[in-house]
Amino acid sequence: MITAGNRSALGTLAWWLIRAQFRSRRAATLLSMLAIGLGVALGYAIHLINDAALADFARAMKSVQGDPDAVIAARDSAGSVPLADINQLARDPAVLVVAPVIETRVRIDDSPIPVSLIGLDVFSAAAVMPQLMPRHDDRAVLDNIFAGGVYASPTLLERLGLRPGDALTLVRGEQRWRTTISGDLPATHPDEQLLVADIAWVQQRFGPAEAVSEGRVRLAPDADLSTWRTTLAQRLPAGLLIRAADDDSARLSNLSRAYRVNLNVLALVALLTGAFLVFATQLTAVAQRSTQFALLGVLGLSPRMRLLQVLLEGLAIGLPGSLLGLSLGYILAVAFTQLLGGDLGGGYFSDSAPLIVPALVPALAFLALGCLASLTGAFYPAYLNRTQALAQALTSGFSQRPAAIVASPSRLALPALLALAAFALAQLPPLFELPLAGYATIALVLAAGIASAPLLTQTMFGWLSERPLPAPQRIALQNVAQAPLMAQVAASGLIVSFALTASMVIMVSSFRVAVDHWLDHVLPAPLYLRSKATPLPQPLLDALATPDAPFARIERMATASLTLDPRRPKVALLVRELERDNPAARLPFTGPVLTPPVAMPLVWISEPMHEIYRVGAGETLRLPLLGREVDVFVGGVWRDYARQFGAVVISRDDYLSLGGDFQPTDLALWPLPGQQSVAVAWLAPPIERYGLELADSAAIRELSLSIFDKSFAVTYALEAAAMLIGLFGLAVTLAASVWLRARELATLAALGFDRRMLSTAVMLEGALIAGVGLLIGLGCGVAIGSVLTHVVNPQAFHWRMPLAIPWPMVVAGAAITLAAAVLASRYAARQATRLAVAQVLASAQ
Amino acid sequence: MLLLANLEKRHATAARPLFSGLALTVAAGEIVALVGESGVGKSTLLNCIAGLENADSGSIRIGPQAVDIAKLDESARAALRARNIGFVFQAFHVLPTLTVAQNIAVPLLLCGVPAKEHGRRTRALLERVGLSGFGPRWPASLSGGELQRVAIARALIHQPALILADEPTGNLDPRTAHEILALLLERVREQDVSALVVTHSQQVASCCDRILTLTPDGLS
Ligand SMILES: Nc1ncnc2c1ncn2[C@@H]1O[C@H](COP(=O)(O)OP(=O)(O)OP(=O)(O)O)[C@@H](O)[C@H]1O
Ligand SMILES: [Mg+2]
Repeated sequence: MITAGNRSALGTLAWWLIRAQFRSRRAATLLSMLAIGLGVALGYAIHLINDAALADFARAMKSVQGDPDAVIAARDSAGSVPLADINQLARDPAVLVVAPVIETRVRIDDSPIPVSLIGLDVFSAAAVMPQLMPRHDDRAVLDNIFAGGVYASPTLLERLGLRPGDALTLVRGEQRWRTTISGDLPATHPDEQLLVADIAWVQQRFGPAEAVSEGRVRLAPDADLSTWRTTLAQRLPAGLLIRAADDDSARLSNLSRAYRVNLNVLALVALLTGAFLVFATQLTAVAQRSTQFALLGVLGLSPRMRLLQVLLEGLAIGLPGSLLGLSLGYILAVAFTQLLGGDLGGGYFSDSAPLIVPALVPALAFLALGCLASLTGAFYPAYLNRTQALAQALTSGFSQRPAAIVASPSRLALPALLALAAFALAQLPPLFELPLAGYATIALVLAAGIASAPLLTQTMFGWLSERPLPAPQRIALQNVAQAPLMAQVAASGLIVSFALTASMVIMVSSFRVAVDHWLDHVLPAPLYLRSKATPLPQPLLDALATPDAPFARIERMATASLTLDPRRPKVALLVRELERDNPAARLPFTGPVLTPPVAMPLVWISEPMHEIYRVGAGETLRLPLLGREVDVFVGGVWRDYARQFGAVVISRDDYLSLGGDFQPTDLALWPLPGQQSVAVAWLAPPIERYGLELADSAAIRELSLSIFDKSFAVTYALEAAAMLIGLFGLAVTLAASVWLRARELATLAALGFDRRMLSTAVMLEGALIAGVGLLIGLGCGVAIGSVLTHVVNPQAFHWRMPLAIPWPMVVAGAAITLAAAVLASRYAARQATRLAVAQVLASAQ
Repeated sequence: MLLLANLEKRHATAARPLFSGLALTVAAGEIVALVGESGVGKSTLLNCIAGLENADSGSIRIGPQAVDIAKLDESARAALRARNIGFVFQAFHVLPTLTVAQNIAVPLLLCGVPAKEHGRRTRALLERVGLSGFGPRWPASLSGGELQRVAIARALIHQPALILADEPTGNLDPRTAHEILALLLERVREQDVSALVVTHSQQVASCCDRILTLTPDGLS
C-alpha cells in the first residue's frame, strides 16, 4: 500500500529525524563517521598503492623484457641458455622469432652503482623488445651498432652527464670494456637506467661463451601457446624453463601477497572499529529516543520503518564517512608512495614512487564496504528498536535488558564453545596460501571474550556487592553486576581494542626478540664486505689471501638464485665456506641436523623454504643446479628472517664437486685481534676502487633493527587509534547509561546522595567496567598474540618465532588504559552531577 | 466510530482477567468518558483498542470500514493507527527534536501527505488551538498547557475517525485543564469524530456525551 507520495512523505520524516539526530549528537556522529572513514581510507590506500606498485613493476619489467609470448631461461641464475638450444628453437615452425639476450650488471667508470647492460641482436629484438631499440647518434665516431659501441637510456645519460660520442669503461669483476656511447634508447621509460649493446660484443667482453641469458620468443600467429609450451617443456634440458606472461604476473602478485593481505586485515580491523562505534552510537541513540520512537510507533510508524530508520541513520553516518575515506585514502596513497615507495616499506619493489590512478569500480567497492560496515553496526540497535514494546516504552522508556536473561550453565557454554572452536581453527593449515583460518581464530577469540564478560561481571561483582561497603560503591557494583546492555557494550569495546593492541605488542615484541637473537647467530664476524651484483674482484681476493692482510679468518660466500616454480619468487642459493660436519656453527638450526646416508650433495634449507615447498630435514630435494637437476639431501632447516621466499645453503666444497664455479660476492672478515681499524684502513682502497660495501656487524644489526622498527611503526599508530576508540566508546556508553538512568540517579539524589557520591559511583562504575574489559582483553590479547606469532606469521610470511610476552609493557598499558578509563568516566559523572534533580523527577510519568 | 464486542484481556501473570465480555459502541461524533478506579484496566483497554496490546478474544472495529484491529498484523495495525486514530496522552509526548509545526505534521507524513501540503493545514490548526505563530518554536520552550494543545492539534490534523485520550488533563492545573478539554471537545465535535476519554475528573466526565465506568465486572 506504499504509494509514491507515501514514500516521499516517509522520506521527509526520515530526513527530519536524521537531521535532528545529527544536531543533538554531533560529537559521537562525527567520530563514528571518522572511524568508518579511516577504515575505508586505509583499505583503499593499500589497494591503490599496491595496484600502482604492481603496475609499475610490470611496466618496468615490460620495458626491459618487452612483451614476448614466452621466455626461455636458466633455472639457476648462475647458469645460461646454450646457443645450440636457441638455434634449435629458432627452427621450430611455431616460433616466429627468438631473440637471444644477455643481461648482466656492470659498473660505469668505477661508479659504485651498478646498471643493467643488455646485449641484444637488433633484428630479432625489433619484433619482441621494441622499447629497447637503439638510436644511433651522428656525434658518435663509430658508425653503426656492429662497431662495438653502447646505447644508454636518456635518464642514464643525464645522470652520468655523458653525451653520445663520449668514452666510458664498463666494469664487471675484473673484466673491463672501454667503449663509447653511440646513441640513446629513445623508447625506454623515463625511470629506466640501462645500457644496450650488440649481443656479440657483450658476449665477447663479459661472456658467457656459446650461451645467452635468455631467449625471448614471439610465436607464429597461428600457434597455440599452451600446447607449444607443453610439447617444448618435454624436450627442454633440465636446467632450462619456459616462462609465459601469466607466470610473471602470478609471481609478481605472490611477491607481496601476504604483506598486502596483512595490511588489508589491519584496514578491516579499522573498519570493524568503525562499525563498533556506529553500533555504540546507534544503540545509545535508540535507547535515548526510545520514548520518541514508541510515540512514532503509536502514531502509526510501522515496525519495518522503525527498523529502517535506525539503519538509515547508520547509512547517514557510513556514506559520508566512506566518501571521506575514499578521498583520504587517495591522499594517503599519494603521500605514502612519495615517502616510502610502492611497498610501504616492505622492501619488495623498487623504491621509485609509482603513479596512483584511482579507478571507478574499486572506489565503488570500498564505498559499499564502508556503508556495509556502518549498516552492520546499526543492525542490532535497529532490531532492538523494532522489537521494543510500544506501550511500555512510551511510559517507562527503553528496556535495558531484552528478554535474553539466560540460565548460568548456558552462559558458560557459549564462551567455552567459542574458545574451543577458536582452538580448533588455529590448528588448520593455510587456505589459498593465506592464514585465513588464523584470522577466523582471532575473530572467534574476540567473540569468546565478549561472550564471557556478563559471566565474569555477574559472579565477580555480584559477590563483591554482598560485602559491607559504603553506599556509592555498593550501587556502582550492583549496577555493573546486573550488567545492563550499556555496560556490556562499553566492556566489549575495551575488550576488543585492548586485545588487539596487546596482541600486536606481543607479536611485534616476540618478533623483535627473535630477530635480535637471530642476528647474533648470523653475524659471527666483526666485518662484512659485499659487492653489489657482480662477483668480488680477483685481485682483492688474492691480496686477502696473502699473509700481510690483517685478517685472522675469512669466509667467502657466493650467491645465486634458482627458479623452482616460475610462478613463485626465486629461491636464493648461498654457496658458503662452512664446515660440512658442523654447519650449526654458522646456521641457526631449528631442528635436527642430519648427515646424508650416502655420498650425496648436502644442503640446508631455510624455514620459509621448508614452509613453502613442504620439504624437511632428512628428505631429498631436486634442485635445478648448474644446468641440470641434482638430487640433494636436506641436512636441516635453519631460521631465516631475511629471505621470505626461501634460501638454500650449500657448502663450497659440494658446489665445486658438482662442477660449479665459485665466484664470491660476500665476505665475512675477522680482523687480527686488536686490529679492526687497521683492517678497515687496509680495505679502504679496494672498496673505493671496486665500489664495494663494508659494514661492521654492529652497524648491520642496528640497521636491521631500525628497518624492523620502521616497518612496524604504522601498527603503533593503529594501536593508539584502537585504544582511543575503545575509551571513547566507554565514555559515550557510560554517559548514555547515566542519561538513561536519570530518574534512578535523581531519586538517589532526592534520597540524600550528594553530588560527590553520585560522581564517585559513576566513576567507580566506569573503572569496574574498564577493569573487566581490560582483564578479558588481556586474556584475549595473549591468545591472539600467540595466534599471530604461531599461526598467522608462519602461514603468511613463513617466519616462525618463540612467543615473548613483554609483561611490563602490557601491564603498564593496561594500567594507563584504566587510568584513562576513569578519566573518561568523569565525563559521564559530570553529566550525572549536572542532572536537574527536580526537573527529572517532575517529568516522571 | 468504534465497535467493541465480547472483548477479553488477561495478563499472563494475573489470576483473573482485567475485563471479559466487554461490549461498547461509540457512534461517529460521540464523546464517551471512561472512568474507573486506578488499576482497573482503563489504559489497557485503550492500548487494546489502538492495537498496542493484544486482547485475548473479541473484536475491535474502527473507522468507516469497520476493520477488526485484533485480526491485523503489526504493520497493518500501525497503518490503521496512522490513518484512523488520534492520540492525546497525559504526558504530552511531543518529539523534542522537531519544531512545533513539524510535530503536528508527523501524522500527515505517516498518512503519506507530501511535506509541501502541510503548511496551510498546520497553520490553520495551530490557530484553532490558540497557538498561532508557535510553528517554528521548539517544544522545550513551551509550557505544559501549550504542549498539550500541540498534542491535540497533532491528534486531529489527519482527521482520524477516533480520538483516544488517556487522562489528557492529568498533568495540568484545573483552569488550564478545563480550557484544554473544552478545546478538545470543540474540535472533536467540529470534525465529527468519535472519542474515548479516560479521566479521573468528574468535571471532565460531565462535559462528555456519555459516561461509562469500568469495573472488574464490566462496563456500566
Ligand atoms: N504487563 C503486565 N503484566 C501484568 N500486569 C499488568 C501488566 N500491565 C499492566 N498490568 C496490570 O493491569 C492492571 C491495569 O493497568 P492499567 O494501566 O490499565 O490501569 P488503569 O486503569 O489505567 O489505572 P490508572 O488509572 O492508575 O492509570 C494493573 O493492575 C496493572 O498492574
Ligand atoms: Mg492508566
